[in-house]
Parts: sequence; C-alpha cells; structure tokens
Amino acid sequence: MTKTNNNSIPDKSNIQGMILRGFTHPYSCHLIFQFNDKKGAKSFIKSILPYIQSAESWGDLKPDIMLNIGLTYNGIITASDLSETYLEYFPNSFIEGPTSAGSQGSLNDWGVSDPSGWAFGNDTDEQHVDCVVHTYALTSEALALIVSIVSDAAKANGPTEFLPVDNGTKRLEEYALMPRNVVHFGYLDGIDQPDLVWNDPADPNDSGDLRNFLIGYPLSDAGPGPTGDNPAGDFAKDGCYNAFRMLYQDVKAFDDFLIDNAPRAPKEAQQTPEYAQEWIAAKLNGRWRNGSPLELSPNAPDVATSHATDFGYKGDTTGMKCPFAAHTRVGNPRDEVLNPSEPSPVPRLIRRGMPYGAPPTLKSYDGERGLIGLFLCGSIATQFELLYSWMNTTNFANSFPTQQGQDGLIANRDMPGADRSYNIPTADGSITIDSLPHFVITRGTAYCLLPSISTLKSIAG
Amino acid sequence: MANPLTLYVPIKQDAVSQAAAQLAYQNFVKSVTTGLDESAIVHYARVALIPNASGQGTYAILLITTFDGPMNPYLGFFWKNPSTQQAFAGIAAIALTPPNPPVKDLTGFENFINKNNLSKSASPGKPGDLYEAYTKTVKEITSTAKELVLPKQSV
Repeated sequence: MTKTNNNSIPDKSNIQGMILRGFTHPYSCHLIFQFNDKKGAKSFIKSILPYIQSAESWGDLKPDIMLNIGLTYNGIITASDLSETYLEYFPNSFIEGPTSAGSQGSLNDWGVSDPSGWAFGNDTDEQHVDCVVHTYALTSEALALIVSIVSDAAKANGPTEFLPVDNGTKRLEEYALMPRNVVHFGYLDGIDQPDLVWNDPADPNDSGDLRNFLIGYPLSDAGPGPTGDNPAGDFAKDGCYNAFRMLYQDVKAFDDFLIDNAPRAPKEAQQTPEYAQEWIAAKLNGRWRNGSPLELSPNAPDVATSHATDFGYKGDTTGMKCPFAAHTRVGNPRDEVLNPSEPSPVPRLIRRGMPYGAPPTLKSYDGERGLIGLFLCGSIATQFELLYSWMNTTNFANSFPTQQGQDGLIANRDMPGADRSYNIPTADGSITIDSLPHFVITRGTAYCLLPSISTLKSIAG
Repeated sequence: MANPLTLYVPIKQDAVSQAAAQLAYQNFVKSVTTGLDESAIVHYARVALIPNASGQGTYAILLITTFDGPMNPYLGFFWKNPSTQQAFAGIAAIALTPPNPPVKDLTGFENFINKNNLSKSASPGKPGDLYEAYTKTVKEITSTAKELVLPKQSV
C-alpha cells in the first residue's frame, strides 16, 4: 500500500478521479450492489479494477469508458481484512450510516422521504448497500459496454444489484440529453465548487484546501478521519467520503408553484407571466436559472454573471437582493456572519451530481426524474450533514427571521416543527409564501468511502 | 427540534479514577459554562454520579443534555472548545472500557459520544424518548429574555 507522510503532496495516481476532477463524459450510470460474501466481493472488485480512473491527467486521450468505486462501511466490513478494532476507527456517521438516528437528525427524511420507502440504502438486510460503482462513457454504446462489464462481474461473483428506478426495473442512469450541468428544475448547477488547492503551507482558513476532503492529511485533530498511523488510517488514506443520494425532483409541483405564485411578484417582474415565474424561481434558489447570482444581478439574469462565484452577502443584510433562505445562500453563506457554534470557514462539498430521468413533455409530467447526488467530503458529519441540517432548519445565523425556517428548494417539509413559510423581501414589503411544498423527495442514500486505488488493489488481492 | 444526549460511562474503580469522577462532578458547571454559553444551542446540561450497588464509590458518570438541532455536526465545536474538550476527555480517560479509537481527535470524540449515548431514538432522527414543553431554541429564548424590559418597582 502506498504510504506518504502528511506533508507530502498526494499522489494523483493513487486517488480516484472524481475526487479531484468533475468528469465531463456525457454518459454515466451508477450501479448499486450488496455483496454476498468476502470472496465474491474481492473477486468483483478485482474484475472491475482495470477500468478504474485515477486523478492523473489522461492527456489528449480521454478514456471511452472508466469507473470509480465506493464502499459503504458494511462493504468495507465484508470486502476488507480490517480487524474489528480498526473498523471502529472510522467516524461514527460513516459507521452508522444515513438512516441512523444521528444522521437523520440532519437529513430529516420524514414522511414522503422516509427511509422505509427508499429504493436502496435503508438498514434492512434486503436494502443495505455495500458498493456503488460509478461508470462513465463517451457514447451510449460505450456506456452499455462498461455497464455490462460491471454487471457481468457482479453476476459472476455474487453481488446483488439494486435497480432503483421505476419500481426496481431500471438502473440509475444519467439523462444524457439534458444540457450540461442543468438540473430538472431548470437551474444551471455545479457553478460554485470549492477551488481544490494544495496550499503550501497548509491553510486552515481555506475551505478548498484539499486536506479538508482527502483523508490522511489532516489540518488539525478535527480530521478527516480516520487519522493516524494505524491500519484504518492506512486503509482510508487518499480516500474521500461520498454521500450518495438519489433525489426525486417533483417538477410538476415546482412548475405549479411558480405559476401559482408568479402573480405575487412585484410590478417590475410582471413583464410577462413567464418572467414573473423566473423571478420566483430565482428567489427560491438565490441564482437565476441561467446561473446569475441575485447578489450581482438582482433584477435580471445576465450572461456576464452566469458563472460568477466572487461575491458575498454582507452588503445584503435585509435579503432584499437574495432571500436569506434561498438555496444557494444557505448552501454557501460565504461571508455571512454565522452563529458562534458554526464552523469557520464555512464547510464546502465537492458536488459531482447529474440528472436522471427524462424531463417532462408538454403533455405529461409522468415519469421518474431527479438528481443523482454525489456529495464528496472529508467528514460526513461536519461537512455534508451540517450543510443538510442548515437546509432543513435555517437557524445558523441571526439574519433569519425565524429559527425554524427552511431553504427554498430541498428541505424536508414534513419535518416536525418546520416553518414552511418563505419570505421574499422586496422594496414594497415582504412577500410571504405560507407553505412551501415538497420539491425534492429522497429515494435512497448510501454513505461511501471512495478508497485509494492502492487500497482497492489490496482488497482485490 | 431539540435532541437529547444521555452519556452513560461506567468508570474504573481505582482511587485516582474515583477521585477524578468526584472532581469532574464538583467542577462540572464551572468547567463547561464558557463552552456551552458560546455554543448557544444547549438548553440544559447536568452530570450525576451513579453509585456502586454497595453504596461505596462511583459506578458510572451520567451526563444528560438537551440541545437544539442535530448532534454530530456540532461535536466539532465542543471538541475545539478547550473547556468542553477537557471535560469530555476527562470522562473518557477514566472510562472502564477504554475508548476505541482513543479520544485523541474529533473522530475519536464523535465515536466515544455516540457509543455511550443511551438516547437511541425510537425511529431514526425522530426522538421518541424526549418530552418537550416548548419548541423554542436557546437562541430564541435568550434573545427574547434580553428584549424583556422589567417594569420599575414602585416605591
């Protein structure tokens, strides 16, 4: 196994590619497995390992097919040779998994999102996930090839595959015909990723420092864990956690909401009914659907700002430009003054998600569609779950008018005590939406480690 | 939404550990007040020493708190805060079963707290074992209290 000291620059050839770079292959499929036994798990990983893509540059020859591999804690128990003593060195949130009481305190998958209704990932014997294989390809034919390679390896070695789409009949596959980085609600996504850097010396005030995401190079005793010179630390080094979520997006509920509430937009936004809907959509998200942040383009979307990330909220203390609970303002509050109990700097996530399912047609909203969420982090609890808890309860700063409010887009509205109202400050007074509907429903979750390639090789034997 | 932590840690029976438990009990409020005040999410925190069946000495330390929001994302705050880190690390140091992994970093701290937390909800994230007379957060309560203007006493 490759071992480096904490100060050395990580070896990109030992790191799974998606951690350091967003793959731009137009086709991807995310295969979800439960192992049968240790021997089969090892053989399965060995079979697909030749197709793994590291974080090294591929130069001019972009691979036609490639994959990355995630293992849950259960998967590590089954596939690895780590002793029980060192298995316990992994962080509790990863060990216990997304349906645990601790994690649900943040995720709040209530009602329509209750884990009992998930397509994969709840704690039952039938539903627990061991492994997620993320396959990528340049063409649909190439995707079919890499998927068949993985699927055949599973059939030969015992892992059982979950088919989470359309009542257990289809795989979770990216909808390739969507414009790049656009999600089903029509927003341009993936604009504001942390700038992953390897500061020398390490910079604890830079949330984009790779040491916050990559295990084995901790900036402090806060992790990421497991840390230290021990079998668990060695196993996890050069890995990164992936909170993998299948999130159904109710486009009909979203479109209906925009249509119903557009008449409430102020006069200047009532140029056309469609424009008024865009105004409401922007106020829910904090960016116009083209990506322009409300802080920089408060009155209309602007091509020039559609990918802007250099702005803050300090100058908008009333929420007049961007509502406090707008999705992107909650997900990354930037320079906002937060409560003393909140971390500084604001934690970030590496998002590698993509849409699944075809968009609705002019005639029908039928069909399953949503986001394949890949939220990469060095700490599930203090990065992913913290930000998710902010979405569900916007109480992390004094600026919020209510301490029980929720973000505009993804919060679980069935959460007990949640204030579903949404406040949009305007020059003519606040527009208060009494009750936000469910726009997003959780269909499944798996907390995975994206192990180093040397660790995967050691598992494969 | 408030959540409970019921930390139950049986401790060693040697004289040093027993004395340390007594000291932790006597100094509890003094030692954690700064950290808990700063957090502004903890409603109440109290500690109790569970006596041995014989009546002599302490069998376990019991720490009970109720706090706003989820626990795990905020353990980092209590780990970074010197006073609360010292209080928890002190309990871990005298635990009858040595924590695995050791409580030397945030991961060890997170695991120690969760392993010894008796408050296991009836369903995930949905406490079935905590009664709440109110739903206000610590921040809401304290800010309201600050705004209250007490009437002048008539002479």
